[in-house]
Amino acid sequence: MSNLAQMLQAPGAGIDADDDFDAINALMREKGWSDGLPIVPPTEARVAAMLAYCDRPWDQPIAKIAPRWGEATPLRLAANAVMAGCQPRYFPLYMLAIEAMCEEPLNLYGVQATTHLCAPLVIVNGPVARELDINSGHNAFGPGHQANATIGRAIRLALVNIGGAIPALGDMSTFGSPAKYSYLVAENEAESPWEPLHVERGLPREASAVTVIGAECPHNVNDHESLDGEGVLMTIAGTMGIAGVNDIYYQAQPLVIMGPEHAKAVAASFSKAEAKRFLQRHGHLTVSKLSKDNIERRVKVTFKDRLPNPKPDDLIYAVQRPEDLLIAVIGGAGKHSAYVPTFGATLPVTRALKTADGKLAKSVEDFRQR
Amino acid sequence: MANLQKRGLKTAVICSGPFLKLGQAQARVFGVPDLPLLVIPHPLGGISIDQVKARAEHALPLFAKVLKENTQ
Repeated sequence: MSNLAQMLQAPGAGIDADDDFDAINALMREKGWSDGLPIVPPTEARVAAMLAYCDRPWDQPIAKIAPRWGEATPLRLAANAVMAGCQPRYFPLYMLAIEAMCEEPLNLYGVQATTHLCAPLVIVNGPVARELDINSGHNAFGPGHQANATIGRAIRLALVNIGGAIPALGDMSTFGSPAKYSYLVAENEAESPWEPLHVERGLPREASAVTVIGAECPHNVNDHESLDGEGVLMTIAGTMGIAGVNDIYYQAQPLVIMGPEHAKAVAASFSKAEAKRFLQRHGHLTVSKLSKDNIERRVKVTFKDRLPNPKPDDLIYAVQRPEDLLIAVIGGAGKHSAYVPTFGATLPVTRALKTADGKLAKSVEDFRQR
Repeated sequence: MANLQKRGLKTAVICSGPFLKLGQAQARVFGVPDLPLLVIPHPLGGISIDQVKARAEHALPLFAKVLKENTQ
């Protein structure tokens, strides 16, 4: 399909270095081409192995990554995927995640450059999540699974190395976040009582897909006491009413993650749509929780029609409409859910995994060049 | 801003100190490396209206200078 040796002759396409782990890592640190952790040297052979799972021209950009608007070619992405420690068969899903997060509604420029601490969260659905053994159960957001750790890391490396999200230069986040190292999970479809996230968002069940959200880290919702779904929803809704999140001032689409046990309890008496309606109605804070300057300068401006003269007991909602709330089932055993606020000025993007001819991929092997 | 500058309009971007490097990088990315970046004191959030006015007063002569230079 493409001639790698020839492409690497182009100016700036590659660098000559001894295939020596320490020397190459020293070079990467010097160039700033890392997340701070050691990288796997992206030799021609390793990059070629990665590109064996790419069915598109290796030197044609699939997206431009803000804020540098660097061209994300499969060749560049493959180098970053090698550096992150990805297996070659992860490559099609990695490319899809990059493409999805560069779609306009996500506002990657804002997500990358803001002072807020958000990072693109990738939730994987469909058969490819199982094929690649992407963790959706216990410790799904934590360490322990190569696919979660390295595809997520490869995304960050592309955001830095291609997109220019360099701290204090292209990434102005006041704090950053551990989610900026790696932030990729799968939905626990097997344990979910509802249709999967990608189906709810309009894709066929047999599709494999990513949903990308410009998100904060998950905030835990502990509820070991409620005996029914309404109780669990009340606790989640209570957690959503936070004064300092961006979402309350935007038509934002934050995420509720239900652990499978909470989801099962809720599903006994609520459909997913009903759960969203409940959470929207009860997920709020009172104006009294906001500072007088925020009331004067934010509430009166943002809600000038609904709350022209806000009173202390007036309600500010975590999400403006029930359909703005995303719900996914993730995690293992335990009476926990999580709330994931967003950057606010961002909308989730869901994209299906398709081969170059536009057909839904059944397996990552559909991309393999033979 | 970059498009306005390219169309020949006298253009400048006002930013606070910590955002100068981001502004310079964006100006290069969008093909207007000479786009004037007028630096005002940080921060812009959490300040009174009087402080906002003071920043505007800080920026105004800088912008006037840009206009003057471009018309000479």
